[in-house]
Amino acid sequence: MAPLVRRAPILVLAFVGLRTLDASAQSLRLGADAVAQTNAPSPAGLLVLQGEDRRRTWLSVEGLVWTGARPDGAGTSPGEHGRNVDGDILSLSGRLRAPRGLGDLRGGRFVLSTGAIRPIHMDGLAALARAPSGTSVEVFGGTPVAARLRDRSYDWLVGGRVAQSVSTRGVLGLSYLGRRSRGDIADEEIGADLAMVPVRWIDLAARSAYDLSSPGVADAHASVAARRASLRVEAFASHRSPGRLLPATSLFSVLGDLPSRTAGATVRWDAAPRLDLLASAAGQTVGGDPGGNAWLRATLRLDDGGEGRLGVEARRQDVSSARWTGLRLIGAHPLGRGLRVSSELELVLPDAPRGRGAVWPWGLLALGWRSGTGWEAAGAVEAASTPERRAEVNALARLSRTLELP
Amino acid sequence: MRARLTLVMVLCLALAACASVLGLGRTSPSRPFEHRAHVDKGVSCVQCHAGMGAADAKLKLHLPTTADCRRCHQKPHDERTCSGCHGEAHVRAETELARSHSRFEHGPHLRAAKGDCVRCHLGAGEARAAVLRPSMATCFGCHEHQGDWRARDCDRCHVDLARESTPPSSHLVHEGDFVREHGVRAAGARDLCAACHSERQCAGCHGAKTAPGLPARLRFDEIRLSGLHRAGFRSRHAEEARAQPGMCTTCHADGACVECHQRTRVAPGIAPRSPHPAGWISASRGSLHGPEARRDPAACAGCHGGAGEQLCVGCHKVGGAGGSPHGRGFTSTKDRLRDQPCRMCHGVGP
Repeated sequence: MAPLVRRAPILVLAFVGLRTLDASAQSLRLGADAVAQTNAPSPAGLLVLQGEDRRRTWLSVEGLVWTGARPDGAGTSPGEHGRNVDGDILSLSGRLRAPRGLGDLRGGRFVLSTGAIRPIHMDGLAALARAPSGTSVEVFGGTPVAARLRDRSYDWLVGGRVAQSVSTRGVLGLSYLGRRSRGDIADEEIGADLAMVPVRWIDLAARSAYDLSSPGVADAHASVAARRASLRVEAFASHRSPGRLLPATSLFSVLGDLPSRTAGATVRWDAAPRLDLLASAAGQTVGGDPGGNAWLRATLRLDDGGEGRLGVEARRQDVSSARWTGLRLIGAHPLGRGLRVSSELELVLPDAPRGRGAVWPWGLLALGWRSGTGWEAAGAVEAASTPERRAEVNALARLSRTLELP
Repeated sequence: MRARLTLVMVLCLALAACASVLGLGRTSPSRPFEHRAHVDKGVSCVQCHAGMGAADAKLKLHLPTTADCRRCHQKPHDERTCSGCHGEAHVRAETELARSHSRFEHGPHLRAAKGDCVRCHLGAGEARAAVLRPSMATCFGCHEHQGDWRARDCDRCHVDLARESTPPSSHLVHEGDFVREHGVRAAGARDLCAACHSERQCAGCHGAKTAPGLPARLRFDEIRLSGLHRAGFRSRHAEEARAQPGMCTTCHADGACVECHQRTRVAPGIAPRSPHPAGWISASRGSLHGPEARRDPAACAGCHGGAGEQLCVGCHKVGGAGGSPHGRGFTSTKDRLRDQPCRMCHGVGP
């Protein structure tokens, strides 16, 4: 652990965004953000342009492009040391909808996630067609996104999903994903998914993907939730085979199958009109080692609108080599005239500090202002003691503007 | 016995003191409007909500004014505006928002229901109902919208649903542990999620390679308890990753760890210490890295992926000192001499 407070170079993080927040049927909304922070671990200077147009029901377009810089020459993007200026595209896509929901076509850069296919940030096309019988067919193809338009990790990917609705009660889907990296198979999976609402107060969902290149279940998840009045109970289970979640071209995908499994329950209770309690407990096995985790969250709203609130979270993780206890406190209080003060505090106590400090505290105190005419401003100070640094202090500021255009 | 009695009394007093904070006690003079009392007195709905069937009333809420109330209540108990106490302001605001985002006309419905408003506004018959807005299930009771629902053709009834920002009552996923639950819930209903959520909301987290920063980090003053990377995540990220092997791959590619560690100068060769404990690599069978790598290969790939794999090949290639790295349950359909990564150890090299 470094004995001294980290020298904090003043890094100006200018995050300027032109953001179309959401466009109503009659208008377009634009927004801009500027963020500055000292001691920044993330990109230091950003110019972000976003746009979204939903004025026509059959067409929507949105995009987010940013560029940034930091003054210390450490580079703004991962692995780009020495570069002061950087930039990229997070999202740039269009969506055409056929009348009466018979289908839609997406193109550009977007996140594809359907059925048992895990989210893929891709450049390409995805088409969906729906038949009146409740059958839907989705196909997609393209290339996974590579940061800063560098060499792509994979050459291309294709896949699809066929789904059948059962009344309005549920849907069953089957999916396929194939991904190649420089000609080699990086992923080849088939999957199944199910979502059902058998009665109004119960809903269940499940998905599972099966790896074809290293035969076996890559991941599987299931969740059943029941709700009655102020109580909601969810039972869940998951299975992950980490080696199969890696690209099959990775050397680390051949180490065998030691899956991690989790099963547990989450309960939400609206204990009082302004008090929500959420608790979760789960048993786990990680590589055959048994363990578990549990947490409890309580949120108390201080007014009907929830502008002011207090919250507490207590957490315990106890499995394999991940053993720690955590406590978080949050508080927000409106001061009037659009001003709001908020604060967060976290304490983490690792069971095995291994020279990283016996406790990792983190705290933030923020003051925000909202004009009601689209202007927002916020400033904060955060302080922490981390496994790497005995003490860290950081100051943050943000200025935002949203515009609604006819 | 006396101590218990004292304890019970203290608890009761504490609860009473907290009642208003918890929302159990009344802090505002407003209350849900007394619809039931009016119905019981034989007052028809259109007596107060006049002009329901008018052709030019498509976007009107028809909420009565104080003058409307005083047509019957000629000697009011108070001179202030009736709606200040009777009916809740936030309920009216929500109703106005919902009204402006729905394609709906009262006139035809009024005629079809033969003037029976309660057929849709079920809450009017309840003594303390705060919200009378019909649920979507009530609409489905008469209208054949099942096809629209399946086709996600929300625009037939809703005007720009995303802008309305009010999750439907059946939207259970937002009430639980959203971070863990949303993936499995969205699997069968991505297009339903897309009715309200934009691409950039998904890409903000799942587009980690090109995102300008964590959404929670950029909106640092909007605090909440839920969220994966909130608060002091940077301190505990290694513990979080070890507890859920493979989960980081949902958003992060292999090699993501070393890129960030180099940028933040917390990496071997830059940082003063190795992240690995003593005995990580040794010639004996007690070497720690093998079991740990099998338990969480994604963690190894986080730093040693790509070109870093050669570090492993040096010992674990066929005939090498490290022996076979394949553990229990390993199967593959790949050609070991031709396909990647098999050829790195079995073939002539990368």
